[in-house]
Amino acid sequence: MSEPRDDKRPEPGSDAHRATADLEARIARARGQRAAEAVPEQTRTGDLSGLSRGFRLGSEFVAAIIVGAGLGYLVDMFLPTRPWGLVVLLLLGFAAGVVNVVRATAQMNAATAVPKTTPALPDDEDD
Amino acid sequence: MAEQPIEPIHQFRITNLFDIGTFGGNGTEGSGTHLAFTNSALFMVLTVGLILAFLILGSNRRAIIPGRMQLMAEMTYEFVANMVRDTTGTEGMKFFPLVASLFLFVLVANLFGMFPYFFTVTSHLIVTVMLALIVFLTVVIYGFYKNGPRFLKVFVPSGIPWYIIWIVVPIEVLSFLSRPVSHSLRLWGNVLAGHIVLKVFGGMVVALLAAGAWGVVSILPFGMAVAMTGLEVLVAALQAFVFAVLTCVYLHDAMHPGH
Repeated sequence: MSEPRDDKRPEPGSDAHRATADLEARIARARGQRAAEAVPEQTRTGDLSGLSRGFRLGSEFVAAIIVGAGLGYLVDMFLPTRPWGLVVLLLLGFAAGVVNVVRATAQMNAATAVPKTTPALPDDEDD
Repeated sequence: MAEQPIEPIHQFRITNLFDIGTFGGNGTEGSGTHLAFTNSALFMVLTVGLILAFLILGSNRRAIIPGRMQLMAEMTYEFVANMVRDTTGTEGMKFFPLVASLFLFVLVANLFGMFPYFFTVTSHLIVTVMLALIVFLTVVIYGFYKNGPRFLKVFVPSGIPWYIIWIVVPIEVLSFLSRPVSHSLRLWGNVLAGHIVLKVFGGMVVALLAAGAWGVVSILPFGMAVAMTGLEVLVAALQAFVFAVLTCVYLHDAMHPGH
């Protein structure tokens, strides 16, 4: 910690110089690789454990219903539509919840592509 | 401690450390806005302080061959940068400061919560809702700023025949509005549930030990508490990651409306 700040170019021939001589070339190569990796268009959610996957889907579903019910309640409070605002928006919220879950699942599947050779469900006729 | 009833919710209580004062109101009891520096605020300050100390210590040497602290800081940067790049593309890197701040704040706040007697900032819904609203408002404001009215295309999936549009659009609007709700509920729910479960198992150990011969059985909840602690550390890190990844996913929509 007490060493002086090391931001000068190292002396030619020293160990540090040898280690960093081709640094610029290496950085350029890494940049090129990153560009070549052609950022995929699809969004990626990364690997999640089963628990968090379940929590994710559950909260996606419930959140849409909560928002639908809340909006419906507000609509009925300010417009003389009681009880139809709540009924219609709750149903729409339910549909939006299903859409959320389908979309989240599609994202997860895109992130971890299921191998084509997955064995079929174990059949019970063996025993 | 043994006489006092075991209360798993007590750990979430907000206490005023020192008062700042009352603003507005007419001077009568309970009117106006009372401000105080609470234990929650203290731990937010500690969280930000730890992140700042880590990054400043990690970057103050700026050696060409990094030391340990610098390497850790650089790996943190690389981790978040790759996450942003993978999810939103290279042009999403302009949001890197936002995503990195949110990720580090949630991560450190969650991990602070794993220390006994520490307050868990993210166990309060108001905190996670504000974090989610920052993301939601950024998406809406930036989406309209960048795309103008074309941002409304997030509500109209492509390739839908006109006679279905009128039912799809309200569903899409609700789906869009539900994002900040699920975004905040997930983080809050995970942290709150985990801490309550930990406290309940811990309370069972104490209660069984106090019950004489039944104390032998207390090894069972104790084992559960140990296992849950490990799981909670995992959940703390995972939920910070999920929060940041979903932030990136939502920001992606702001830049590319229309699916």
